[in-house]
Amino acid sequence: MDGAPSNLDPARASTIYANFLAVNLYDTLYRYKYLARPYELEPNLAESLPQISADGLTYTIRIKKGVYFVDDPAFPQGQGRAVNAQDFVYSLKRHFDAKTQSQGAWLWQKRIVGLDKWKENGSNYQQEVPGLRALDELTIQIQLTAPYPQLIHTLTQGFSAIVPREAVAFYGKELAVHPVGSGPYRLLSFNNTAAVMERNTRFRQEPFSLESEGFNPNLQSGYGLQQLEGLVPPFMDRVEVEFIAEDAARWNAFIAGELDFVKVPVSQFDQVLQSRDPPTLKPSLASDFHLQASLESGFVHTDFNMADPRIGYHPDRVENARNKALRCAIIKAFDWEKRNEIFYYGMGQVFAGIIPPVAPEYDPDQNKIAFARDLDAARLLLQNHGWSAENLPELEIGFTSSVTERLMFEQFRSFLAEMGYPQDKIHPLTFASYGDYAQAYLNREVMLMTIGWTMDYPDAENTIQLFYGPNASPGSNSANYNNEEFNRLYRASSTMQASASRTKIYREMNRILIDDCATISGISRRLILLWNRKLALLPDRSFLGGHFFRFAGQRENRQGTKN
Amino acid sequence: MRSIVQQLIHGLLLILGVTLISFLLMVWFGPDQTYTLIGKNATAAQIAEVRHQLGYDQPFVRRYVDYLTGLATLDLGASNSSGEQVTSILKRTLPISLALMLPGFIIGNLLGMALGLLAAFRRGTWSDRLITGLSVTGMSISFLIIIIALQVLLSTPYGLNLFPVRGWQVDSISSYLTYVTVPTLSLILVTLGYNTRFYRAIFVEESSREHIVTARAFGASPATLMWRHVLKNSLVPITTRFMFSIPLVVISGSLLIETYFGIPGIGKVSFDAITSGDQPVLKAVVGLTAVLFVLIQFVADFIYRAVDPRIA
Amino acid sequence: MIIQRVLEQSVGFLRSDHERGTVRDGTWSRLKQDRTGIIGLFIVTVFFLISLGVLLGFLGQGWSAADGGRWESASSNHWMGTNLLGQDIFQRAIFSTRTAFEIGVIVSLLSTLLGALLGALAGWYNGKPRKTWIDGGVLWLTGVLDSIPFYLFVAAVAYALQGWPWAMHVAMVATFWTATARLVRAEVMRIRSREFVLSARTIGLPAPLILFRHVLPNTLHILFVQATIAFVAAIKTEVILSFLGLGVQDSVSWGLMLAESTQEVLAGHFNNFLAASLMLFLLLLGFNLLADALQDAFDPRQAAL
Repeated sequence: MDGAPSNLDPARASTIYANFLAVNLYDTLYRYKYLARPYELEPNLAESLPQISADGLTYTIRIKKGVYFVDDPAFPQGQGRAVNAQDFVYSLKRHFDAKTQSQGAWLWQKRIVGLDKWKENGSNYQQEVPGLRALDELTIQIQLTAPYPQLIHTLTQGFSAIVPREAVAFYGKELAVHPVGSGPYRLLSFNNTAAVMERNTRFRQEPFSLESEGFNPNLQSGYGLQQLEGLVPPFMDRVEVEFIAEDAARWNAFIAGELDFVKVPVSQFDQVLQSRDPPTLKPSLASDFHLQASLESGFVHTDFNMADPRIGYHPDRVENARNKALRCAIIKAFDWEKRNEIFYYGMGQVFAGIIPPVAPEYDPDQNKIAFARDLDAARLLLQNHGWSAENLPELEIGFTSSVTERLMFEQFRSFLAEMGYPQDKIHPLTFASYGDYAQAYLNREVMLMTIGWTMDYPDAENTIQLFYGPNASPGSNSANYNNEEFNRLYRASSTMQASASRTKIYREMNRILIDDCATISGISRRLILLWNRKLALLPDRSFLGGHFFRFAGQRENRQGTKN
Repeated sequence: MRSIVQQLIHGLLLILGVTLISFLLMVWFGPDQTYTLIGKNATAAQIAEVRHQLGYDQPFVRRYVDYLTGLATLDLGASNSSGEQVTSILKRTLPISLALMLPGFIIGNLLGMALGLLAAFRRGTWSDRLITGLSVTGMSISFLIIIIALQVLLSTPYGLNLFPVRGWQVDSISSYLTYVTVPTLSLILVTLGYNTRFYRAIFVEESSREHIVTARAFGASPATLMWRHVLKNSLVPITTRFMFSIPLVVISGSLLIETYFGIPGIGKVSFDAITSGDQPVLKAVVGLTAVLFVLIQFVADFIYRAVDPRIA
Repeated sequence: MIIQRVLEQSVGFLRSDHERGTVRDGTWSRLKQDRTGIIGLFIVTVFFLISLGVLLGFLGQGWSAADGGRWESASSNHWMGTNLLGQDIFQRAIFSTRTAFEIGVIVSLLSTLLGALLGALAGWYNGKPRKTWIDGGVLWLTGVLDSIPFYLFVAAVAYALQGWPWAMHVAMVATFWTATARLVRAEVMRIRSREFVLSARTIGLPAPLILFRHVLPNTLHILFVQATIAFVAAIKTEVILSFLGLGVQDSVSWGLMLAESTQEVLAGHFNNFLAASLMLFLLLLGFNLLADALQDAFDPRQAAL
């Protein structure tokens, strides 16, 4: 993996890396089908999809019988006990206990009846939460304050994984390095460079069925999946996951045969690919490796801080209009093609607005003019609104201090220079770590910030909420965007289930945002994944997933190291 | 001649000073870890909660005193990022750093000693000039350049491709050797220049002492002189240097090697702690290094005075 | 860096037994005869002139223009090819000379001055009743600073002063001054008992006057050598800091070029690496040769060894 989780506690599984490990070491109620594209939900620990009441407020979920936690000293006599509905209730309650330092509470904030109150009353676990109950050993009932169509998606994430209270009591903070779950794997060792997992022999026996996982023989043959039919996952005895953030080192390790599965760093794309569109492997590699090129489930965009009167909202109407013109000019001067070409090998997909290509509500016929570069129009905008080299504001671009980010900044500066923006008025604002960067923009101190967002579930609501007024910093609306119409439409659509009319509303909101020029957005990067042909596997990195991993198998009988 | 009590006080003052300065730097002014620990869409209330958990809202003096007491009682707490007990982190990483750095350190020094001896022995000749020239060259190459070059030459298909690029999956002698070779080579190459010069200077210094010069005038063979007298008398500065270098090399020097080669040792752990602001880990590392350093100074001082009574 | 400092301390200790020359007697002629020293001086001068050229706007001004293709190889347009963005590597390497000199000069000057000042004060007041705490204080400070692992300290300072372009300089000055201070202190203690000082004190000249006009100038040989050593250390530290992301923020430096190159070399693009390494190596070599020559010129007894 190209990053390391710092913490394996599911309540803190906020990065792709942590989530990957969390969903393989613990159980979640739901997951996505291994092979179905676009993604389809599949019961995991749950028996079936939830029963939802007519008003959309009550969810009843039954969980499977005979599921056990791994053996661990936390349990009496070291024997893992059966998982029951109370465990789920407990796991969710944990997020609302300050001691947990949860990073996932926002998923259920103010959504479940009585849960926020429970926290205010001191997070007493003896107390019942009316909206989160175990009706019996195997049945869970959730009461919502308002319809929340994305609830079931949240139940696929590592945040919702089932944690036994004995483990929390026994390990306390060290739960982060001593996972005790009921997932397909159990942990052998973990440090900041690697995690080693082995098959959990007590995992539920559920034979692999190609059909129920949504196998498409036209697109998905040739990966050796058919031979795994009927076998019981997980198929690997032992897995080593190495955390190698440095592209060079990771690539070297892969080439040297130390890794069986890798995300190819962008700098190696031209060494690896024979052709870009469609992506195919060089013949020398094709004999040993499989390739998958897919767009990430997220995107990168640069926000303007609308709360900053130098570039955003201004109390004076004329100034406000001038600022908007400046922003629109900057957006028009941004050369997406060049950015894509240099940093993403031309394989990213550029789109206008904030509904990325991987979201179901994406509009492929979207107006491409919105992100095509137009220097003349940019200059005209500046001229018409009285901007000149003398009175243009000093721009501060925030980013974390890394080689790539710095080069991106220099490129951005050259883009603006071509429009006539004086180079010495554009300054880098560097931060040594992501935490510091986050602190600054969450405190509204950064004028322009580049942010990457990974979607939590396949629903554009997840990206649209990034510009919902009340979500302003320290929430995830880092642009501090606030448009009345946009907000109204958001509230109206938030309780709607996925439908054509909802999609229409989302697209309308996207248009409003594009017109307001609040963000330079965006590009979805393409991920090139390579894996050894000896592995029968079809990976998926989307939606903070990792559920696919239990289905990874060997084509030959050989103990291997992976990833 | 300072009394033991005076030295103890001196040492204590030193520890206080180190802890105070590092506390100021790394804790008071250091990065705020709150923002790495909160999730997406945090509310102001949640942020305040996390800050409280991390202890940021307490006054400076209180936090400093807590730090000192924790250090004294060896109650070092748990890492904020990973939750692991600091003592277990130390137990896990220190052996790795030692196993990583010691071979290079020892070989580098022995090689430096040998070359320095040779150069001093044949001073003024072409071999001396060659060695000196090489060591100056060695001193002029940045550590980073050596690491990158070695990695390309030894671990990639552009070179020999014999060794792993990074990592530390050590469970046997052979795996230890595969993982430790490239870092050790880099360490040796980087320090060889300095070591050779240092040892050459010492040996030259010693061999120009009057008793040596006189012995030579009387026809004593240079070899015996070198071995028996020069080396012996040089032992004191050599040992002190060794002792002073060890904590610094292991903790500070290992930082770059470990971050580059991805080795989970104490250098990398402390660097990660600095960049993320994980205070419990930082406090422990700095505090213990200070104590260690003071102890070593004590011992070195003692040895020095015991061996050479002229020095007071 | 640490190792270098321990080295200096130990050797300095050894040399304390010898008589020391000062800047005046015969130094210059010895320097002129030292061939490697002249080479070093020559290299340093060339680099200095280059950095001056950059400062005045003659050289390396195209370092940030992204007008080439990606990773072009050497051509008449771009003498050493281009990097990922299409920026000219040669121009960047030349511009980095100015960055290097700026850091080197500032850090070596400030750290030497600070070290000289504190060292002189400590050496002068050592053992003097009621005022020996000054000496004690300075010694304590040097002890404390030396006990903190170097890179951790520098990284911590760079973090604490984040975003401020001088953070790196402050961090380096804060640690480099101790070596100079120790040497100056020892020297001052030695000079203190020399005749001309004793006579000055008998006459009744005030201590600061004696210190600054008579004693310190006699430490110039130490200061010169330390300054060159500090310059070397500063540049080397900057390389590592920039690699870690804590060094130069805007503009370009060899450290940043090397950091860029770590990814590039694995894709087979070596130009960035070679350009930065070569320039860096030459400058450091020049300074090291110069430092050696200076040391030998100031202390002829050592040179004869």
